[in-house]
Amino acid sequence: MTRAARFLLMAIVSSGLLQYPAIVHSRDVAALSVSIAVFDPGVPDDRSLHRDLQIFPRIRGVEAKFLPFVLRETLVESGEWGAVRVVTEPDEAAEVAVSGAIVHSDGERLELRVRAVDATGRLWFDRDFSARLSDSSQADLGDTRSSYQPLYDAIAVALREARQQLDDRALERISEISLLRYAVELAPSAFGQYLAEDEQGTFTLQRLPARSDPMLDRIERIRLTEYVITDTVDAKFRELHEEIASTYALWREYRRKSVEYDRQNAQRAQETQSDAPRDSFDAIKNRYDNYKWDRVTAQERDRLAIAFNNEVGPVVEAMEARIAELESWVDDKYAEWHRLLEELFDAETELNRAAS
Amino acid sequence: MCLVMVACTPAKPVIDEQMMRIDGGMPADLGGSWERDYSRGDDVNQVLRDIYYYLSRTSGDRAYTTRPGPVKPSSRDWQPISALARLAELITRPQVLTISQNDQEITVDRKDDFSLLCAFYDGVAKGTESDYGTEICGWDGDQLVSHLILPDGLQVTHRFTVSADHKQLRVVTTVSSNTARVPVTLTRFYKKFERLPPDFNCIETLSMKRVCSTGEIEL
Repeated sequence: MTRAARFLLMAIVSSGLLQYPAIVHSRDVAALSVSIAVFDPGVPDDRSLHRDLQIFPRIRGVEAKFLPFVLRETLVESGEWGAVRVVTEPDEAAEVAVSGAIVHSDGERLELRVRAVDATGRLWFDRDFSARLSDSSQADLGDTRSSYQPLYDAIAVALREARQQLDDRALERISEISLLRYAVELAPSAFGQYLAEDEQGTFTLQRLPARSDPMLDRIERIRLTEYVITDTVDAKFRELHEEIASTYALWREYRRKSVEYDRQNAQRAQETQSDAPRDSFDAIKNRYDNYKWDRVTAQERDRLAIAFNNEVGPVVEAMEARIAELESWVDDKYAEWHRLLEELFDAETELNRAAS
Repeated sequence: MCLVMVACTPAKPVIDEQMMRIDGGMPADLGGSWERDYSRGDDVNQVLRDIYYYLSRTSGDRAYTTRPGPVKPSSRDWQPISALARLAELITRPQVLTISQNDQEITVDRKDDFSLLCAFYDGVAKGTESDYGTEICGWDGDQLVSHLILPDGLQVTHRFTVSADHKQLRVVTTVSSNTARVPVTLTRFYKKFERLPPDFNCIETLSMKRVCSTGEIEL
């Protein structure tokens, strides 16, 4: 072994990559790991539309972080999946990558567009899920999850049904391709030849590396290291969920009432249409009041949005700062691992050539 | 006379596109707390008397009489104006206006009424539309103009002008409708006042309502 290769190996050892046990290859093939990316908040770029659409960007930003965690909890509790993680960016190499966008959220109705793709690039589904609150689900403000639980259950069912379409071999292939996609990202020189991607973005295995391939072993260890960080980030989402759940439930309840007030305003406008001449004081005051109450309701909604931001803003900011730190650490390490692995691959190739 | 002018001038939009654009900052600073100056401003009864006088001299019913001099306005003419005057008086009743202003928005908070909002996005005023009416705003020179268009031709316009020394605010409110021959305009004056500096810092929250502290607020 050359001095350079020895030095690189020492660097990898000292960077902690060899501190984790070797990956366990035998597992339930159906228990695929799921990565749920923070949702797209669904906020139009045109700020002038936000008021008309009753979209509060900062609150949508919180919901985009909060709602994926509820889906995660649903999947974890089903016991049908491997590790389920919430991640800040879509994880392309995940065994199953779930992404979503908030289409509508007003306290009375939640609509999400959810997309699930496996590591081979196979689209499981890409469709809307929506749920409307029943009066009974409002009664329990403490349990934030139960309110829209049918929506999360429907997503869980859709994931299960998509998985049921695949046999064990296909599921196994997803895990293999997932690991190799991760490996290709990290060490393209070593693993680039194992995968092929067609124009539709579907990945196929060209061949498998040997189980004893030391590079693959290193990749698996690095992935485990990254998972440790991902799980720490995931824990931050859990903390966020725990800290703001009751406030979010309160916000949603106020939003639901606001929708109810809108309905009452419409009803009042309908009922107070008087038979008085249209230029009488009663008639014109009625027209003015109809507008007035509509605006008062909207402005109360704005006030509550500010109150929500005041309350959860510091928690969200602290969480974002911590996640940014963790991600920055991962990015730095990732770049370092990428460089080390490429150098190590070159060194080993050189060694093998010299030996042969 | 203002009434004659309004009645005779060809219809022109209260707020045109040019008024809805600002280059750079807002043309005037209206921000602050304003309390009504009851020593100045219009008396609604006097305004009604002026209109009555105007109508009696210009009424179409004059054609049906040979008697010279003023003619009592018909109830068809008078009823809508009297209704507009009552509404104008109601709308201009608030004793205090609280105006918040930044580079993008001006909000005029009024007790017992909705807040007037004038929001500019990339320098262009964005109106508020609902099933019940449309609210647009803009700047006419250094006057902030808020125009509310309600069903059946009912319209309410406020013009806010701040004095050069920023101590006084004039609000001219005009209420008009398709059925009234002339609009009703009431002018109100306000004086700036400083709210006492709070001993506490307070913020609104959802779960704890208003939270106050003598120091920095920690939730």
